[in-house]
Amino acid sequence: MYSFTKTQQVFELGSIAFGGQPGEHPTVLFGGMFFKGAPDFTAASHQLASMLRIGDETGMPTIPDVFIRKEEYIEPIIAFLEQHLPKTHPFSVDFIESSLKIKTLEALHDHKLLARTIYNSVHIGMTAPEREALKQHTPAMALIVAFNPKDSSPDGKIEVLENGAHLLDSGLLAVASSVGIQRILVDTAALAPGENSGAALAALPVIKEEYGLPAGCAIHNVVEKSKWLTRYESAKTTVDAASNAGIALFGGDFAIFGPVELAPVVVPLMAWFDIVVSEYTEAYFGVCPSQQHPRRVFSP
Amino acid sequence: MPEPYYPWGGEFITGPPSGCVAVVLLNIDYVPPPGVAIYGKLKTENIGIEKIVANVISNPHIRYVMVCGEEIRGHRSGSSLLSLHRHGIDTQHRIIEAPGAIPYIENLSEDAIARFREQIETIDFIGVTDTTRISTEITALDARAPPPFGEPYIAIRLKPEATVTIADARALHARITIDYLGRVKRRGE
Repeated sequence: MYSFTKTQQVFELGSIAFGGQPGEHPTVLFGGMFFKGAPDFTAASHQLASMLRIGDETGMPTIPDVFIRKEEYIEPIIAFLEQHLPKTHPFSVDFIESSLKIKTLEALHDHKLLARTIYNSVHIGMTAPEREALKQHTPAMALIVAFNPKDSSPDGKIEVLENGAHLLDSGLLAVASSVGIQRILVDTAALAPGENSGAALAALPVIKEEYGLPAGCAIHNVVEKSKWLTRYESAKTTVDAASNAGIALFGGDFAIFGPVELAPVVVPLMAWFDIVVSEYTEAYFGVCPSQQHPRRVFSP
Repeated sequence: MPEPYYPWGGEFITGPPSGCVAVVLLNIDYVPPPGVAIYGKLKTENIGIEKIVANVISNPHIRYVMVCGEEIRGHRSGSSLLSLHRHGIDTQHRIIEAPGAIPYIENLSEDAIARFREQIETIDFIGVTDTTRISTEITALDARAPPPFGEPYIAIRLKPEATVTIADARALHARITIDYLGRVKRRGE
């Protein structure tokens, strides 16, 4: 368990705080809502309600990360978020295609939701039209994915943040700043097994000490790609959920933990680890847990 | 662990190494006929393509790479692979005219890419999910039985140059130090 010498930035969105010293704020948990095929909002509403409820009970902040696959799903998914989230609760929007990103930003602007939006994500594949769209419709917060196709090490991740690793004319931090994004979360880009998957965890304290920015990752993606685990079906869900503990132990601030269905396991698990981290960091470093911290909910 | 013929590893199934066809599966669940040298799913338009290139050129018997199934949305990995074969990469290592989100080839030399482009012919079955049609095409390709393309080409994975070398087994990373209590500092401060 760590404490950082560099001053740590804390960004707030709604009632959720991102960043800080380990043990200060609970790990922010992003539950993925992927809507395969036509979105099934009935099932999704139950899963979302369950995640929010367990988050409230445990003191863990939870955020839906909605994946937008097609243009025709933009409006229904936005309507779903408006209907099923508390009024100021943040959400993140995840997509791959640049054209969808642009259309979604326009729609979020029209719905006056950009102040609650976490943009997932800014990365080296950003197009010029997307950059323009972000300038016009700037979300409150963005995930910057420090993926460097040449160098998966923490140094490679820093390179892409600082200078674009010769793939862009400037680093991703400068790109985000140039479009007006003030609040940044650094995603340390977990890669597949065999591709230096551990670097995503090792980079967390490096990024935090280097920049003081909130950092996290989707380490669960590594579990998903560990095909050998399919031989141990009963262990797979446990490993999937437990992988997120590495983020808390390496000083990270947020976990993109995979499908929202896993929330009933992941949220209490991460509350437990946050309590353990907080006990140590308060004892040795004098870091006080925030008022919302699970330690204040459960510990004597 | 990697097999001798396919040293870069990946999610694939191998057949007889003397087979002349490799099959790249996009969004499709399909098991090709037994004569296929190697087949597997392609997901990403960067590292996934690199593995295909490296593994294909390591086996000179492979002369055809078929790409089949529905395209991967956003990543457009299948089209990006075809673009690499058609056009190669630019000076920034971006696959020329690739439609994918992050189509960069960073871990292969230009020689390895040139060899890939020369060694194989691509068969564009993107969007085709009719497995009978796919199998028929593969069987026809297999029957052509072209000669191998010279010797195996073992592509060395390009390594980034280390900017700092500090022999400190206790350090998690060269940029930071962590003291016995767990306090993190930038090295040298």
